[in-house]
Amino acid sequence: MAKKILVVDDDPVIVKYLVSVFEDNGYETCTADTGTEAYEVLEREKPDLITLDLEMPEEWGTRFYRKFTKHDEYKDLPVIVISGLSGRHQALKNVVAALAKPFDPDKVVALVRKTIGDP
Amino acid sequence: MSEKKQILLVDDEPGIRTTLSISLMDMGYEVETAESGERALEMFDAENPPIVLTDIKMPGIDGIELLRKIKGLNPDAEVIMISGHGDMELAIESLKNEATDFITKPIRDDVLEIAPTRANDRIAMRRRLREYTENLEEMVREKSEKLVAAERLLALDQAVEGLSSAIWGLAGEIDGDLKYFNELPCFVSLHSRDLKVLAVNELYRDRLGNRVGADSWTAYVGAANQPGRCPVGRTFETGQGQRSEETIRRSDDGGDVKTPVIVHTAPIRDTDDRVALVIEIAADVTQFNRLQEELRTIRRKYRLLFDEVPCYISVQDRHLKVTETNRRFKEDFGGGQGEFCYNIYKGRTDPCVDCPVMDTFSDGKSHSKEAVVRSRDGEQINVLIWTAPLRNAADEVTHVMEMSTNITQLHKLRDQLSDLGLLIGSISHGIKGMLTGLDGGVYLLNRGFAKDDREMIEEGWDTVKLVIERIRAMILDILYYAKERDLKWERVDVLSFVSDVAETFAPKIGEADIRFQTDFDDSLGEFEIDPGVVRSALISILENAMEACVEDNEKESHAIRFSVHPDDGDIVFTIADDGVGMDKETLDSLFTLFFSMKGQKGTGLGLFVSKKIINQHGGAIHVSSEPGEGTTFTIRMPKKLPESVKGS
Repeated sequence: MAKKILVVDDDPVIVKYLVSVFEDNGYETCTADTGTEAYEVLEREKPDLITLDLEMPEEWGTRFYRKFTKHDEYKDLPVIVISGLSGRHQALKNVVAALAKPFDPDKVVALVRKTIGDP
Repeated sequence: MSEKKQILLVDDEPGIRTTLSISLMDMGYEVETAESGERALEMFDAENPPIVLTDIKMPGIDGIELLRKIKGLNPDAEVIMISGHGDMELAIESLKNEATDFITKPIRDDVLEIAPTRANDRIAMRRRLREYTENLEEMVREKSEKLVAAERLLALDQAVEGLSSAIWGLAGEIDGDLKYFNELPCFVSLHSRDLKVLAVNELYRDRLGNRVGADSWTAYVGAANQPGRCPVGRTFETGQGQRSEETIRRSDDGGDVKTPVIVHTAPIRDTDDRVALVIEIAADVTQFNRLQEELRTIRRKYRLLFDEVPCYISVQDRHLKVTETNRRFKEDFGGGQGEFCYNIYKGRTDPCVDCPVMDTFSDGKSHSKEAVVRSRDGEQINVLIWTAPLRNAADEVTHVMEMSTNITQLHKLRDQLSDLGLLIGSISHGIKGMLTGLDGGVYLLNRGFAKDDREMIEEGWDTVKLVIERIRAMILDILYYAKERDLKWERVDVLSFVSDVAETFAPKIGEADIRFQTDFDDSLGEFEIDPGVVRSALISILENAMEACVEDNEKESHAIRFSVHPDDGDIVFTIADDGVGMDKETLDSLFTLFFSMKGQKGTGLGLFVSKKIINQHGGAIHVSSEPGEGTTFTIRMPKKLPESVKGS
């Protein structure tokens, strides 16, 4: 079974983009467009890695991050922040990386591969 | 006496002339002789001998007649009479006519010797008497001079008095500003009755030369260069202090410089109340005029500064009563003099708390404070107040000057700047998101082409189109926000305008299951708007309503109602949807900059800009909403654009 990536972003265009990139490289994906939904998806799908946008309506990515890292089960789950926010590097501790939008899809894939290995 | 004593001997008998001549010459006299009275007079007139010896009885002019004539010529001449007989009458007549002696013939030598000797004694005595008299006059003159000196000393007090009164007279010419007097170059001189310069001050000596002893009038050029016309001369003549404008000739600067002066004179009187001396003070008018001009310029500059500084300046007394204001103050707050500060600025009946003017009165220091005041037009003005104490000569604070700088614009600018900062942050974030979206669209397109997957190509293309549309909308919003543009207003028929808006909006609904209903009153008439911007504001609100419907999954179908009707000089637009609705918090921040309910799809500028457009037209926008029920926007716009907006 291929490794699964949870894509969290409120912009469906970007979700579609990331999903296409990951699937083209053999990974499985699941998506969420709010922090609340992301937690539900996380529990249901048990992904191996999360790409997380920070600024979203209703519940920000930062809040979702703090919520799931409190659980032992998810606290070591690797997270790649993909955000346009200039303060993305400082927003969260212990994430794998914080990538800027717009991003280089090859770099994202390389980072994923380095973190969780081949699909 | 070394000179030989002369005697003129007069007798008609030659024998007597000879014998007497010999006797007299023996006695040491130089003798001249005359044979008649006529001849004697001629000789006396020529020689003026001190002693004349004459016979009385002579033909022609006799001795008595000769005596009278000689005494008439020289009263001091000693005339000795000789008579043949002891004629008492002739003797008395002779003595009456001041004859020195009377000798009878025959003349005894001893008598002849005595008579001229007595005459000589009389001459010597008379000389001594004259000398003595003359000495006495000398003594009297010396004494007088001492007296005059004492008199002058006495006069000094008067001189000082005269000087000070003259100085006051001069000072009066300078608007009572005595502080400039010290700088005034004054030529001070003292003059005597005979119009001579007696003394001058140092500046006089430096500039006009040491003219002590010179004639008073010669310092002047023109009409005053005459004894009776110069200020000193007129003072002696009238006994009154004089004031006139003259021209003097200066001798410094190596030439003949003519300088205009204001001359004041003051008489100094002696004990008999006659004008004994005159003090003259001449002030150099060129300097004086220059100083006065300088003073005037400075005053004008201060007044200009006072009036033109971009501040409201008022001077207030201890009761916060305004005593003086500058032009700007008057323009925005009215005259104000005599009114209370707190009344003018705040419309209050009692002083404000934390009044900086009162603080300055109490501690004598400057204070500052920010406040909001109200102009006479009712406009709210943010001011930065700064106070300064005004002190009197005793260093007591009698008034306080209050300078209020209008910082309303600054406040607006500050708001705008923070908005701008927010805007830039938000825009850059938005643009990054959009560029990423664009990358996504292009990625899908590329992959579709690579795999020759038509569906994927279309999906990619749709994504690109969507993102481009978003970018376009955002850029337009930014442009509108960034540029404070004036309204291009025109008179527009309301019905055709709203019909046009409805037609533009309707296709946007597209495939969504939303009914779009319009309800336009047919008596709407015309209104004054900038149709371009109002159209985009209305469409923005309509789109907002559409979004609210699309988002709402609770209901099977939705409706947007767009109605327009006139109301008391206004046009009221109502846009009502039955979409998701908004909670109170969302409602409160609905029109704030960058608030977006649409997440990445909105820029947060749309409704903010719409409200700005409506407000710019003098209109108002009101929203009511209920979560789950829907939202109603009510836009009220005046038919006539406010004059203030039209002008700008």
